[in-house]
Amino acid sequence: MAATEIELTPDQRLALETELRTLADDEFVLAERYTEWQVHAPTLESDLALANIAQDELGHARLWYDLLEELGYDETDLLWERDPDTFRHATLSELPFPEGEWADAIVRSYLFDVAEGLRLESLEESAYPAIADRVGKIQREEGYHTEHAENWLERLATDDEGGDHLQAAVDRLFPHALALFVPTEPVPFGAETVSGDGAGSQYTDTDALPDAATVEETIVAEGYRTDSLATLGERWLDRVVPTLESHGLRTPVPADGEITDELVPDACGRNGRHTDDWDTLYADFTHTYRELGREDATMIMDRPE
Amino acid sequence: MTSETQPETDATPCGYTEYREGPAIDDLPATGVGATGVDAAVWDALYAVEDPEMPVSIVDLGLIYDVGVDDGRARVDMTLTYSGCPARDMLQSDVHEAIEAVDGVDDVDINLVWSPEWSVELVTEAGKEDLRDFGLSV
Repeated sequence: MAATEIELTPDQRLALETELRTLADDEFVLAERYTEWQVHAPTLESDLALANIAQDELGHARLWYDLLEELGYDETDLLWERDPDTFRHATLSELPFPEGEWADAIVRSYLFDVAEGLRLESLEESAYPAIADRVGKIQREEGYHTEHAENWLERLATDDEGGDHLQAAVDRLFPHALALFVPTEPVPFGAETVSGDGAGSQYTDTDALPDAATVEETIVAEGYRTDSLATLGERWLDRVVPTLESHGLRTPVPADGEITDELVPDACGRNGRHTDDWDTLYADFTHTYRELGREDATMIMDRPE
Repeated sequence: MTSETQPETDATPCGYTEYREGPAIDDLPATGVGATGVDAAVWDALYAVEDPEMPVSIVDLGLIYDVGVDDGRARVDMTLTYSGCPARDMLQSDVHEAIEAVDGVDDVDINLVWSPEWSVELVTEAGKEDLRDFGLSV
């Protein structure tokens, strides 16, 4: 496999893992939330559509988690027994839906899918071949998500009541969507994935880790992602703000377009700080694993060797 | 977003029943034409593996990108139609089992690849025929 053939310095490995965790966790946690709409969405078609989108996002999460597995982790490390504080998804993914708020699902999906599309474009030429190889597959499926969200956005915005629901969702979600562009605080290497003094052993302990901004610089300098988060964030604002405004929706972005730290929640996920809702969601999706006393991920069938 | 809501009579409720077309890719679909010896036997074994949801061979579906047997070790590069494919492990397991049974094969390596990404363009004519018989419009 490509990944294991590439020798990584500790800094490279940290940068790569950080980007992969960010990508995978966003998708996985958002899918967990989307599935809550099963049998509750407003129509059968929308129910199926969102279920399908959730399945896509789980597929994408798996493509990214696969690459972490190639670096020495297994599914148990990455999900079932992972310390919830080490998840790095933006809080946009983890927030619960206010009861029956379909507009929330639509706005969330719209804000996320546009961001994801831009991020994927920036991974097309990734210097890490296994990342670049996966992008086309994901983009092909993501296109439908954005279309779905845009269609619904347009439909809901056609009357005042729908508009009010959308505005409430934008007010609630927009700050958490800005979190998508916050550099990710790195997670120490799982000591079990580093042999002896092997690559990265110096980063098995939190104290020794470089800060998020430094890791973000490495991600771009190494070409794992070709644009900085700051650039992606600007592109995202250029796209979502005019679209939302065209539907009569206001965003918290000031007239000069300047995004300040005050607009981003203190607990934004990328920095390792989450909302209390994350604890609940994590407890939920690991519930069965714990209840059954599992020690590793159970497969329906053995994986081929 | 300037388009107005269409009157209901113009609605197209099934806007997404068609596969989105993808680019044709040189050298794909790989079908094992011209393969000889153990390679040919591996292709035959792969032809016998069907998609778990539709009665079509995974070779005709275009999932197999490359096959090679070197000193008893078979290597298969394959993809899946869909990243969230729930049959991922099942399909790989079927492929593994089918190839392992081939005379001259001792070991099997399955390499899941995602690029170039699968599209309906990679389905062979025979595969399209099978999918049509199954009731799909391709």
